Amino acid sequence: MNRQPDRVGNGIQSSWHSPCAVRPAAQTAVFQKPEASGERQTESACYFVGREPSSELFHWEQPLAPEVVSHDFCFTTESLITGWNRALKRPMAIEVTTVPLNTAAPRAIQIPIRRTSIRVRSFDFPEPIETPRTDQTSTAVSQVQSQAAGGTLKLNATRIRPPQDVIKLEDRLQYLLQPPLEALLSNRELAMPFQPFPFQFEGVAFLYPRHAAILADEMGLGKTMQAITTIRLLLRRGEIRSILMVCPKPLVTNWQREFHLWAPEVPTLTIEGDQTRRAWQWRLPDVPLRIANYEVVIRDREILARGEDDRPISFDLVVLDESQRIKNRGSTTSEVVRGLSRRRSWALTGTPVENSAEDLVGIFEFLAPGFLSPEMKPRKMGRTISDYVLRRTKEQVLTELPPKMFRDADLELTPEQRETYRLAEEEGIFRLTEMGEGATIQHVFELVLRLKQICNFDTATGASSKLERLEADLEEVAGSGRKAIVFSQWVSTIKRLSKALRRFGPLEYHGQIPSSRRDGVIRQFREEHSAHVILMSYGAGAVGLNLQFANYVFLFDRWWNPAVEDQAINRAHRIGTSGPTTVTRFLSLDTIEERIDHVLQEKRELFDTIFSGAKGPGKLGLTHNELFGLFAIPGPGRRSSTIRAA
Amino acid sequence: MESGKNISKLAIGFLTVMDHPQHGLFGGYLVLNLAGRPLEFHCTAPIKPNRAQQILYGPTLESFLYGEQIGSTLLGHAKTSPLVVCTDREPVLSLRDLIDLPVALVLPPVEPEEFNGTGSDAHPTVTLPNDDCQAGKPDVPRVLRVDAPHGRGPRLITFELGRNRLALPQQKCDDRKRFSERLGEAAASLDLWEPFTRIREAIEEAQQAAR
Repeated sequence: MNRQPDRVGNGIQSSWHSPCAVRPAAQTAVFQKPEASGERQTESACYFVGREPSSELFHWEQPLAPEVVSHDFCFTTESLITGWNRALKRPMAIEVTTVPLNTAAPRAIQIPIRRTSIRVRSFDFPEPIETPRTDQTSTAVSQVQSQAAGGTLKLNATRIRPPQDVIKLEDRLQYLLQPPLEALLSNRELAMPFQPFPFQFEGVAFLYPRHAAILADEMGLGKTMQAITTIRLLLRRGEIRSILMVCPKPLVTNWQREFHLWAPEVPTLTIEGDQTRRAWQWRLPDVPLRIANYEVVIRDREILARGEDDRPISFDLVVLDESQRIKNRGSTTSEVVRGLSRRRSWALTGTPVENSAEDLVGIFEFLAPGFLSPEMKPRKMGRTISDYVLRRTKEQVLTELPPKMFRDADLELTPEQRETYRLAEEEGIFRLTEMGEGATIQHVFELVLRLKQICNFDTATGASSKLERLEADLEEVAGSGRKAIVFSQWVSTIKRLSKALRRFGPLEYHGQIPSSRRDGVIRQFREEHSAHVILMSYGAGAVGLNLQFANYVFLFDRWWNPAVEDQAINRAHRIGTSGPTTVTRFLSLDTIEERIDHVLQEKRELFDTIFSGAKGPGKLGLTHNELFGLFAIPGPGRRSSTIRAA
Repeated sequence: MESGKNISKLAIGFLTVMDHPQHGLFGGYLVLNLAGRPLEFHCTAPIKPNRAQQILYGPTLESFLYGEQIGSTLLGHAKTSPLVVCTDREPVLSLRDLIDLPVALVLPPVEPEEFNGTGSDAHPTVTLPNDDCQAGKPDVPRVLRVDAPHGRGPRLITFELGRNRLALPQQKCDDRKRFSERLGEAAASLDLWEPFTRIREAIEEAQQAAR
């Protein structure tokens, strides 16, 4: 330690450096013990009280000797007589006290171990109709399991669950206690040409117990196969015996083909021919499945209503394919199909909402009249229908499906088109303005169509920026040996395109092609290498066709709602497609097409609101005012109504 | 299985007991034909053992409740007499002492590579390599013996039937032969584990309906 003592003893200042000549009168050695803590924690220190220390003057005084004191511990003891020993020899005096036992005698308690009576609920189920052969009791479960054991297939068990409107417990249990669908369907007598996807099993499990249902899967996910398989199971179970399949006319042959593929054991009858023949066909007994197009059903409404004995011809199940055909509740089609006598009603559509939520109301009038009302808000409507509608998209279930790629071709009109367009628009708007309150929706609609046609081709010169772009793209498509589908709303446009694209071997598929020739056109497009492009109208080609061998889709002009466009695109982008599908959407900039595109976007958001619960826009569809608004003309102040797709 | 016999009248019984933490025990009994279709379903209201039963039955309480109380009651309500009774709860095996039907415990399916026939940890077992009951003795080669812990119930023997693993009390090993004979060729392909899922869902459905 470097601490120097500067003050010692009784406050006398020490002086270490000044010499000391005076001998201190008394000197005392003081030992300072080391402190445990603080500043004074030091080694032992020895210092002097007085002046400068000097070794010469230091000496110790001798200690005094200790004083010794001695003590004597030899004490004297005496014994005392207490009398205790005598007392111990005396006998003890015993005092007896009698206590009477007044309590009752001990009791044995019995704990009865009774056999508890158990309440049991019992349910009997009817003996199944199908009786598998003795040698085939190994049902699909075993086959599926065998494959699973071999590591070739993941074992799934899709169970049928009762819908919410099945109330009775016995009925609910009847569904719950059925074996998994995979087990039922792998029965040898229910062999399937292809192994279905798990989501397709779920679709069958959804339809099977329902008396009212919409299968609204996105196009290309196999609604047809799911419906046919469910029908097959119900027929086998004896739950249905007569089915009517109603579809658009171009799809009748498609349904025949699909039934032959997926349910070869089910006899089908297509209603066709003259009225006498059709009447006979309708009245034939013991026909499990009839296929009819919408027009035939409308035409034969009287036969269906009266049957033979003035009683309606009744069906266990009526299935409407492309059920958006009845979205308009006031249409004859809707009225007639709603009048069909039936126990079960199913609707198949990839586009349950095309224009507005009212489309869905229209379909539900067939399924469950009064269940929905147009006044319902989209979100509430979505919740209400959740147990009745099954909707899956490719993105949700086909994660391995090649992607669908969109290219928006935003094109400037050619100078000739621009000039024609400008004149037509100015003239049209001038006329509408002049008409004032007298302008009707038809007048606006005519103007829209005229302008859209100019966007395709200049009426005077035939110039077309879209055609220029399409030709360039098709060069690449044909060069790579691929095939393309071109959609347009007008047959006239298709015919012009057909001439201009002759070098690509174009085929036409539209309303002017007779139904009898249509299958041949599709076959030719599929098989001929030189046929690189098929030109289709939205009306004829948007539904029911499988064109997955085409990798390119061109929307030469845009339809009025995105659902129809989606249907068109999904002719190519569906199960079985070999590679990505490229979709090119032509749009002429700064024209009516661009303005309509904004409205289509809003409709797409509406669809998402109903089927996903997401918050969507408040506006629904294309109203009078909105249509007038395309030209910045105020609406004529009448009630708002929705324009239907032409 | 007798050839030419209408197999729709042949049935298998599946019996399980669900232990609900609040309500107690629920029993469920499902009778299926050999195609897996339901013929009958019976389920019990929840039962709870009282304190006296818990004390006096001690470690035998489970087999008393599962087998004697629930099992025999449910089978008593069934109209169809099954070929065999399967269960996925070991205490139900005590039912075998009360009925003249073979009762076996169905063990959960395992991945093929895991399936070595030695049984699961939950069920101390002995594997029977063939039909001979004597083969179950520990000194026979290829027999694995695992002693049951104290109070763990009877030692079980396991065997394969088609794709299923079954277990029986060792003293009932003759039932293995009965199982094979009664289920016949169907045994090769039947999935005896899957129906218990149905029973549990049905019990839950019935319980919800009762609320």
